[in-house]
Amino acid sequence: MIIAVSGKGGTGKTLVSSLLVKVLSKTNKDILIIDADPDSNIPDTLGINVEKSVGDVRENLKKDINTGNISVGTNKWDILDYNIMTSIVETKEFDLLVMGRPEGSGCYCAVNNMLRKIIENISSNYDVIIIDTEAGLEHLSRRTTQNVDTMLVVSDPSARGILTASRIGKLAEELEINFDNLYLILNRIKEGEEDNITQKAAKTGLDVIGLIHENEIVSEYDFEGKPLIDLPNDSEPVQTIENIVKKLLE
Amino acid sequence: MFEDIPVEVSPMYEGERIRAANMFVELAGPKSIGAELVQVDDSLTEEKFEVIGSELSDMNQGDIIPFGLKIAIKGEKLEQELEGVIERRTHDLCNYVQGFMHLNQRDQIWCRVSTEAKDAGFKLVHLAKAVGTLFKEEFPIIETIAVTILTKKEEVEEFVEGAKSTYSIRDARSRELSDEDVDVFYGCLMCQSFAPSHMCVVTPDRTALCGAINWFDCRASAKMDPDGAIFEIEKGEVIDEEKGEYINVNNMISQKTQGETERVFLHSVFEYPHTSCGCFEAVAFYIPELDGIGIVDRDFNGETPLGIPFSSMAGQCSGGKQVEGFTGLSLEYMRSPKFLQADGAYNRVVWLPQNIKESLKEYIPKDLYDKIPTDADATKVKEIKTYLNDHNHPILERIANQNQTDEEDEEDSVSTTSQEDTTPEYAPVMTSPEISVPASGGVRIVFKNAKIYAEKVIIKKKK
Repeated sequence: MIIAVSGKGGTGKTLVSSLLVKVLSKTNKDILIIDADPDSNIPDTLGINVEKSVGDVRENLKKDINTGNISVGTNKWDILDYNIMTSIVETKEFDLLVMGRPEGSGCYCAVNNMLRKIIENISSNYDVIIIDTEAGLEHLSRRTTQNVDTMLVVSDPSARGILTASRIGKLAEELEINFDNLYLILNRIKEGEEDNITQKAAKTGLDVIGLIHENEIVSEYDFEGKPLIDLPNDSEPVQTIENIVKKLLE
Repeated sequence: MFEDIPVEVSPMYEGERIRAANMFVELAGPKSIGAELVQVDDSLTEEKFEVIGSELSDMNQGDIIPFGLKIAIKGEKLEQELEGVIERRTHDLCNYVQGFMHLNQRDQIWCRVSTEAKDAGFKLVHLAKAVGTLFKEEFPIIETIAVTILTKKEEVEEFVEGAKSTYSIRDARSRELSDEDVDVFYGCLMCQSFAPSHMCVVTPDRTALCGAINWFDCRASAKMDPDGAIFEIEKGEVIDEEKGEYINVNNMISQKTQGETERVFLHSVFEYPHTSCGCFEAVAFYIPELDGIGIVDRDFNGETPLGIPFSSMAGQCSGGKQVEGFTGLSLEYMRSPKFLQADGAYNRVVWLPQNIKESLKEYIPKDLYDKIPTDADATKVKEIKTYLNDHNHPILERIANQNQTDEEDEEDSVSTTSQEDTTPEYAPVMTSPEISVPASGGVRIVFKNAKIYAEKVIIKKKK
């Protein structure tokens, strides 16, 4: 199962992704999280230190190629494969792969092609893959999320958040990308605003699968930089994601 | 065949990864040492599969162990030259074993055994046996095989050292691999989403111009993904060895570029130079005033002797356009013995950025190194000319010869032109619907419906 979490920047993608990890890691499945948002801080919210991203692996390879540092008899597929493996952070509950910064100058067609194949192969070894996508719509038009079966779009109550959500739905339709599940998660909703926001959300054409209220504990964790994965099990956000996972696994 | 091995052995387990959470032990890898080596050993008398050092049963969950995989082979038709090719299969064959992960090659391998396999009773000696059997099946020229697995630190250390020296001997041999030694070149279309009319030709002497893939990488890719963007080109008949023109390459490029490019010279910037997607690490460009070739790379920010920066030049000759006098290339190609051989190789190079020159110190002929100016010495054509004169660059000889032959030819042609003097109106010596002329200064000159009149036409035999 491949779940992608998308939405406008700052709407709570990372909160949702981290809690999906938290809830799913109790299911005893092999889980891989792909952090595809160069601006994201999912390693922090998972409480993990990342030393190397796929971007670093790519840059290092380019550097070694330019300086002629690679043995003639070895091939770059194997070298990349090995180095990507070293960049994966492995824990008991889940593994994490950080894509890192986008490429610098120069051509990366060949290297990116190899990377795509390698990551596809690595991914095929996991039961569940959670992708924290970059903010916006790029991932759709570049088709990096076309093999995803469940797309969860996160929005806060802002008009812009809702607009991005409805664009994601429309673009997926235009590009004929058929997700098995395409849902909206509403985040940071004020008490009493539920009906109002649900009406607005209905216009996006996306079904709302869960709603998270404005939450003091989350703000406190954010403020203190505490990993969101450690949010209490009985807190509302964790409960909401638990229900979502239940629905998705049905 | 593998009845006595408690896990399955099949190609379907290729690509199997074992998460840290599911592994029993790790062998070699970034936190330990290890290597694999295939060697021909004529003293081999019998098949043998053994483990020297501790077995899995002696290890604890989570251990990280040094690991040597030593494979000795014997066969009437086996030669040392084949060792590398056979060794390359170790990765695939080890991965056939269920519950065993193998990454990379040589002294950079990384293996893991899954907890599941361990619980099923799997041992390292089973791996030795499976790999030995698979090798014999894969390469019938192997008559006898012995696989030894080392797990004792001191022994693995010694083994890795020995293996490293064997690799470097092999590398030296591979570096000598040239276009003449192979029957297959490769075409690469990875960049066709950007440049639909571009195809890269990759040969042992010419790395792809992005620098990312060489002939060995292509061989691996074509095998891994036969329907992918990298494919074989049967080398076939050579038209011009010096320039690097081949019938099959021409046919393939014509087919894959929808006829946009019909001929290509692999080792020249003139006439039909190799086209570029835009990916190249550097551009070689003709400087007409000096009859020489300049090189500029992507990291160079200043102006080139043509008066334009890399970016403008790159724009001119990318997108699959064939522009005489320009060709994109990889830095690795500048280390090739065939580097622009048809044009005079480094004897023809009259300018390049300082950092590139330094990185190529071993590859530029010694007596030439100080004669080629860099951006630190000169960037204007006039200054370059002075530098070349001061340092006695071989291009001077070329220019001198050129002038001489021009004069000689002029004398020969006098008689023919004098006849034409009697006709009041010149007939065009050439007409063409379109002529494009390579030019410097960031422009390309195209004449449409051109009629060329000339007082004198000089036809020279190529030397």
